[in-house]
Amino acid sequence: MSTEPISHNRDFNERQLKRIFWRRIGIVLWVSFFCAAVESMVFFALFDPAYLGQLSSFAVDLSPWQGYALGFAFFWAFTFLAALFAGVVLALPRTRLAKRNPHT
Amino acid sequence: MSKQAETNSPDETIELSLYKAHEKVYPREIKGRFQFKRKLAVWVLLGLFYVLPWITWGEQQAILFDLPQRRFYIFGLTLWPQDFIFLALMLIIAAFALFFFTALAGRLWCGYACPQTVWTEVFIWLEQWTEGNRNKRMKLDKGPWTREKILRKGSKQFLWITFALWTGFTFVGFFTPIKELAEHIWQWTMGPWETFWLFFYALATYGNAGFLREQVCLYMCPYARFQSAMFDKETLIISYDEQRGEPRMRGKKRRESEAPGDCIDCTMCVQVCPTGIDIRDGLQYECIACAACIDACDEVMEKSGMPKGLIKYTTENALQGKPTHILRPRTLIYMVILLGLVTAFGVSLANRSAIDMNVIHDRNSFYRVVDANTIENVYTLKVMNKGTEATEYAVQATGLDGLEVVLGLADQTVSAAPGELVIVPMKIRASKQVANQRIHGITVTVSDVAASGENTSENIKYFGYKK
Ligand code: SF4
Ligand code: SF4
Repeated sequence: MSTEPISHNRDFNERQLKRIFWRRIGIVLWVSFFCAAVESMVFFALFDPAYLGQLSSFAVDLSPWQGYALGFAFFWAFTFLAALFAGVVLALPRTRLAKRNPHT
Repeated sequence: MSKQAETNSPDETIELSLYKAHEKVYPREIKGRFQFKRKLAVWVLLGLFYVLPWITWGEQQAILFDLPQRRFYIFGLTLWPQDFIFLALMLIIAAFALFFFTALAGRLWCGYACPQTVWTEVFIWLEQWTEGNRNKRMKLDKGPWTREKILRKGSKQFLWITFALWTGFTFVGFFTPIKELAEHIWQWTMGPWETFWLFFYALATYGNAGFLREQVCLYMCPYARFQSAMFDKETLIISYDEQRGEPRMRGKKRRESEAPGDCIDCTMCVQVCPTGIDIRDGLQYECIACAACIDACDEVMEKSGMPKGLIKYTTENALQGKPTHILRPRTLIYMVILLGLVTAFGVSLANRSAIDMNVIHDRNSFYRVVDANTIENVYTLKVMNKGTEATEYAVQATGLDGLEVVLGLADQTVSAAPGELVIVPMKIRASKQVANQRIHGITVTVSDVAASGENTSENIKYFGYKK
């Protein structure tokens, strides 16, 4: 059974669909930002940001602030992917349910 | 869609509202005893926020989270990364305090102390000063862009932006000495990070308190979603007394009715609500327990000569005429855990040593033979000075007779600047006759040579000479 896009089984107009999309992106961004912030706090409580530059195979000179920024960017990128993944996976079954639902 | 709109479980409300355009809420201003308390909370909390970074303690800013140097100054106490446990404990304590108060009194945090609520309050005040009361604001938004509208909206934006920038500046002032920061701004010589965080935090304040407002509570806040897990039938909630209020009616119908309920259906409680809900529909997850509707309805009741308390703080049990217990297993358990954590925190903070040490045994050999009578174990000794002054440390070993410590340094003491981590090769010598087991347990003590004699020690393994 294929899953149909949401627009076919509910009478949403274009604007509503856009809104759903952007709000979902917003949620994914926010959730991943929040988690990345917490992860960075724990990580940098244990590791000095200055050591980040020496971790790689070629040593980079990093100021502490650059270290923090780099670490946070990494965490955010990964948490963003995780949240996006969860969002995409969560969004699919709902269109199926909607199809079976006699009310819609 | 219409079928689903009737259901209002939190999940579905959120789901549904994802499809709806957001409707702006215009909260009506209201005075009353709870609003007085909220105002007080705003002044105290924001007062602390804006004033604290300006206070100095000794030679140091009283509260400074120095991230590049990785040390936190809190009123004469300096915390190092090694003190991470305190930070973690503090966060856990905060979490349990939140659980405890939520079980006891519902969303106290949301209504009175949450930064989101507090800053939103101030932004609403600024809005009221410039754009007038609720009716004026609604009219202004609907009306055409007249000179007055531009003037009023312009001055609101000016106040909002100024306040947001000041907030961003203060925020950065917790992480970088605020007086220097003020000079940097004055001379326009800020570093890239200072600039970035100042504007970032200002933007976050402006967006959250100016525009998103209740949407932050509805869609973004994790606490709003799980707080109901801490609720039970004895938790203090804000509730409308349906039995007394219904059937609600007003005007002519009311005058002609034989037994009208006490609710005169003036919708004041709806108009003052910052999240735009009708508390008369029952407890809803959108309600942040700000008690504005209590104050509003009390005023109405007073004017119409009826007893106050049609909307009030109460518990589910009380509504059903059952007794309410403040002490019950849930609150007791939270309380015991909370007390335990606070005690643990206090005790460990009081016993916190200004020296941090770590001894690592050499991986290559158990022991080395020095001469016919003596062997030695080789270690790496790490000593960190967590105090605020340069200190000299003596190192001793005990646990076996005649242990001798030889440091790989000219003078046999370790000196460390504040915050410095010193790494020293260390040999510990013993005679073969004494260290004759395969493994011995010994203790290495690092102590301040100055009068205070503060010390810390670690138990380590010593490999002996066994044929
Ligand atoms: S403020 Fe009180 S009287 Fe007015 S509508 Fe609300 S509950 Fe009824
Ligand atoms: S229902 Fe009442 S207490 Fe709840 S948010 Fe609205 S005004 Fe505040």
